[in-house]
Amino acid sequence: MNNVIAQLWPEIALFVTTCLVMVVGLSKDRGTRKLCAPISAIGIIVAGYLAATTSVDTATTLPFMAKYGKVLAAGVGLLLLMLMAGTADRQLEDAVDRGEKFEPLRSTRAEFYAFFLFSLMGLMLCAGASDLIFLFLALELTSLPTYVMVALSTRRDRSMEAGVKYFFLGAMGAAMFLFGFALIYGATGSTALADVAYTIQNRAAGTGSIGPLALTGLVLSLLGVMFKIAAVPMHFYTADVYQGAASSVTAFLAFVPKCAGFFAIMLLVGCAGWAFGPDGYGSGTALPPELRILLWTIAVLTMTVGNVLALLQTSVKRILAYSSIAHSGYMLVGVIAGPGPAESTLASNGLAAVLFYLLTYGVMSVGTFSVVAALERRRRATAADAAIDEVDHIDELRGLWKRQPHLAAVMVICALGLLGLPPLLGFLGKLPLFTSALGAGEIVLVVILGLNSAIAAAYYLRLVSVPFLESGEPSTPDAVVPTPFPSRALAGVVAAVLVVVAGLAGGTLGSHAERAGTFRFPTKTMEATRHASQPTSTVSVPPDAAERGPNAR
Amino acid sequence: MPTAPITLAATDLSSYLPILILVGMAVTFGVFNVVASNLLGPSRTGKVKEKTYESGMDTIGSAHKRFNVRFYIIAMVFLVFDIEIIFLYPWAVTFPNIDQSTPDALLWLGRILFFVFTTVVAYVYGVRKGVFRFD
Repeated sequence: MNNVIAQLWPEIALFVTTCLVMVVGLSKDRGTRKLCAPISAIGIIVAGYLAATTSVDTATTLPFMAKYGKVLAAGVGLLLLMLMAGTADRQLEDAVDRGEKFEPLRSTRAEFYAFFLFSLMGLMLCAGASDLIFLFLALELTSLPTYVMVALSTRRDRSMEAGVKYFFLGAMGAAMFLFGFALIYGATGSTALADVAYTIQNRAAGTGSIGPLALTGLVLSLLGVMFKIAAVPMHFYTADVYQGAASSVTAFLAFVPKCAGFFAIMLLVGCAGWAFGPDGYGSGTALPPELRILLWTIAVLTMTVGNVLALLQTSVKRILAYSSIAHSGYMLVGVIAGPGPAESTLASNGLAAVLFYLLTYGVMSVGTFSVVAALERRRRATAADAAIDEVDHIDELRGLWKRQPHLAAVMVICALGLLGLPPLLGFLGKLPLFTSALGAGEIVLVVILGLNSAIAAAYYLRLVSVPFLESGEPSTPDAVVPTPFPSRALAGVVAAVLVVVAGLAGGTLGSHAERAGTFRFPTKTMEATRHASQPTSTVSVPPDAAERGPNAR
Repeated sequence: MPTAPITLAATDLSSYLPILILVGMAVTFGVFNVVASNLLGPSRTGKVKEKTYESGMDTIGSAHKRFNVRFYIIAMVFLVFDIEIIFLYPWAVTFPNIDQSTPDALLWLGRILFFVFTTVVAYVYGVRKGVFRFD
């Protein structure tokens, strides 16, 4: 029991922070209410520190992913928190400034930050999941708060609409992967991921295939988790939800559920293993043929649909939404490539490539969304807050280089990074995906990946060039001004600096991802470690209580 | 962990027969009453018989009344604290069996106090939100 708690210290730290934030956010005093964000920041930093120093290796096929995943969640989570300033309760606080009384019933700040931290907690739990039920709870804890965050993000109808769409489709996806988990349990007799992996791969070694029930379970679970990463055919919610939510919440959606989804996908696909070849189990380094075909089709469709549909968009948030779909497709290539031969480096370990790509993609997407979040559209005539709206159309970014050069620089660097231009971080992230897929023999997939990266250049270069264009005839009569929340621009600047600096010196980050992606083939000893780590009850019972029963005193 | 497919033990279904008979009796009783009163009873309708019943008088107002959302909120709050009670039951049944002189007992108490603390946080949140204001 104590060992289970030992794995959860980062999440416990986040949970205590959540409890604090929920109460502090409703205080009568304005200054105390504003402490929500700093308290959350301290909580995330403490959780990240605890994750880096006290992580326990999980008893799954990916034992070192927990520590990397939790530290990743804390790091990018801190950047996302900086973006969240002013998203909740902006109009309410302006009303309080004008002299109205603070209405805790109408306020959403406490809930907003609490859900932010809950979702981050769910992401950390996902990284450390060692059991199907644990994984399901962690995935749900990651997504349910995001449904509410989307609905609460602005006071306009479109964020409520986005929230409703996201909730219903997300619930359907969750039902699908829960059914898949139930079938996997039926096929293997256990919910512990180590036992599931051992049973399935043992059966595959004996009979040559993983069996129809396990296959059905895995396919259903993967399809359900595909909703989280916005892969085709579960991508339809992405554009509307990303556009309807406030930009800071969209940045959150573009990273956290995707991260959680990929942790889950790697854990689930690891149950089937990458040891199949033309002669069945043990003769190659590929996925089981049925799973491989499914993931191959999904990856190709996802990349292509994401990139092609992004070309047609005029809204910046929709462009970034479809680009995030495309990036999910790229990462699925890494999942198909698999961990490669034993003792493989970042260049040949597809799983490590995916984990590293999650880091690079997270930082760059925070950068691009921060530019959109740091600007707002204000009616030139009045300064009333009712006329403040988000910046969304790509033409509203024109002339940004003259007005806010730092934001234009952030957009240029992060968009070029997402494109994969060397020597930025995006290139360092994409290269291992290419090499690991090549090493696994997936030539056609690599060609399609390259073609899609080229197609993506069209809209990324559009995002890069628009800030330099003249504003010319203003497409709207409103003025595009920076928001009064400097932390949003700061998040973008930090992200852009990381993209450049880590791109030049990204060796250590890569080596962490390399260790995190180590795939341990399921063995009997993995079970033994798991069973041994759960000590038998050490609680001492008085000798006569057993005879007399609990009620006798 | 077994490597062969799982086989279910054969269950003796004959012990479920009384339940089947009981269910059959309940369904038959219900169906028979409705069908018999349809066939055997008189069938006289009229304008007054078709009206909505309100203690024998003419109806006042519409039946679609709005009622305050506080009832729904109280039900939600009840659910939260009910789940807490459910988690308290097994702890309460097991805790007296622990030897109180060891540090284990303090650890067990500490754990449940942390759980109760989370409920207190939920309660404070509810109070500030006005959930318990019932005017």
